[in-house]
Amino acid sequence: MNSRFGSNALSILSLAVLWEVTGRAMDSTLIPPLSQIAAAWWKLLSSGKLLANLSMSLTTLVIGFLLAVFVGVVLGLLMGRFRAVEHFLDLYVNALMSAPTTAFVPVLILWFGLGVESRIAVVFLFSVLVIIINTMTGVKQVDTVLVEMARSFGAKEREIFFKIILPAALPAIMAGLRLGIGRAVKGMVTAEMLLTLTGIGAMIMQYGSAFATDSLFAVILTVLLVALVTMKAVQWLDRRLTGWKAEIAIE
Amino acid sequence: MSVQTVQPVQFVQQVQNPLESSNVLNGLNGLNVLNESKHLVEIQGVSKSFHKTVKESTTEIKALSDVSLSIRENEFVSIIGPSGCGKTTLLKMIDGLIPYDSGRIVINGKPVTAPGPDRAVVFQSFALLPWRTVLANVEFSLELRQLSKEERAKTARDYLKRVGLADFENHYPHELSGGMQQRAGLARALAVNPTILLMDEPFGAVDAQTRQLLQEELLELWQRERKTVIFITHSMDEAVYLSDRVVVMTPRPGKVAEILDVPLPRPRVSEQVRRHAKFVDLTNYIWESLKRAMENHH
Repeated sequence: MNSRFGSNALSILSLAVLWEVTGRAMDSTLIPPLSQIAAAWWKLLSSGKLLANLSMSLTTLVIGFLLAVFVGVVLGLLMGRFRAVEHFLDLYVNALMSAPTTAFVPVLILWFGLGVESRIAVVFLFSVLVIIINTMTGVKQVDTVLVEMARSFGAKEREIFFKIILPAALPAIMAGLRLGIGRAVKGMVTAEMLLTLTGIGAMIMQYGSAFATDSLFAVILTVLLVALVTMKAVQWLDRRLTGWKAEIAIE
Repeated sequence: MSVQTVQPVQFVQQVQNPLESSNVLNGLNGLNVLNESKHLVEIQGVSKSFHKTVKESTTEIKALSDVSLSIRENEFVSIIGPSGCGKTTLLKMIDGLIPYDSGRIVINGKPVTAPGPDRAVVFQSFALLPWRTVLANVEFSLELRQLSKEERAKTARDYLKRVGLADFENHYPHELSGGMQQRAGLARALAVNPTILLMDEPFGAVDAQTRQLLQEELLELWQRERKTVIFITHSMDEAVYLSDRVVVMTPRPGKVAEILDVPLPRPRVSEQVRRHAKFVDLTNYIWESLKRAMENHH
């Protein structure tokens, strides 16, 4: 853990130094030195503009992602457990999984308008499929001996589901959530840039077209930070829920 | 007639003066063969086929053919046979996990249709839940039986103590050796206080020394708890050491080749029993019987 933290810090530090040196040497608006970006970031932060937009974006992200988790886990469990449901739905899930999700944005605008609803829908669509597929795979990979064991002790379908299938599939479900949160962040920014110029995405478009590269990079770095923090949050939840799995992996 | 108790000819010739206790045992056997109502488990002409579909064509695999076997209360019966002879299938049918095609399996006068509280299985691969501690794993079998939380924990601890795992209740299965994991599996099965313990090659996945230790512990437990045990195994000396009777099965489709009495006195002390002339003879006889069954098959 400590050595990892050290390596991370060293990596960030060397990149920062490289960036600063390159920026100063180039002396161009295309790659502003990091110190200039930091100054722009501080200005955006102290004016309250960044936080206002960020909170708008995060609201979209959280609602869209939670919906995706709920729908994705429920559908994934059903598809994994019941072959009929799987055969009914896997065609669409696989098709949507490989199709570029951005292509659906115009349809979502038509359905949900230009408000927050369609942004939530984009976040949802970006993250739900990978959660469905991971959950389904997790359920299918449950050791049949464990199910047999439960049945031999008189477990009914309900008990098998909650006491065996769900906990056994949890590591795979959590892996789906980890992938899903990354996609949700992508969906959030995509929606804000393509749909309704709001939140973080609007700031990116605005500063990009104005060649305000220092502010642009400040916002992009903020997006990276959001992605990292949300990912860490899901990882933390994963460790809390499936600690037993991590211990097995270490051995 | 559902019982065919065949005395190994070789064996009888070699042992002229059987021990007193074995006389008693044989006497009881004779009595119970006549009095079928004393049998706890009656397997009558049971057959089972599996259907395997590869592309369009379905092939039928006959796993068991006309198996008959009767088991008395408190009896320790081993079933031995080559791989794929349907031993495990038979055990699962006795438990009610899978249905049989024809014939009848009757326990305590009632035909088996589903798993019941009178039976508990010990699995070869332990089948412990990796996300639960040892204590919670033993409690699993009790959770399905409407016991209060305190009662569950108390019973589970009691049985963990009996299998020598009292100090490991908070460990996770992966932190334990194979032998200890199977002790937990045994505690889980015993905790529901079944009449019949169904053991599917329970010591097949542990090393040789642990295996011998577990066999001794199982006998001690069996002596104390007085369960009826149906024990599937590959190992001839394991079958002889543990059992009152050994059922030898033929290769697929599995049939009962013969049923042998094990007239070794109890309690059986491992070191002594294994050097006993009868033990050696009987083990050899089973080997011959298995070989014969396999040769006849080809």
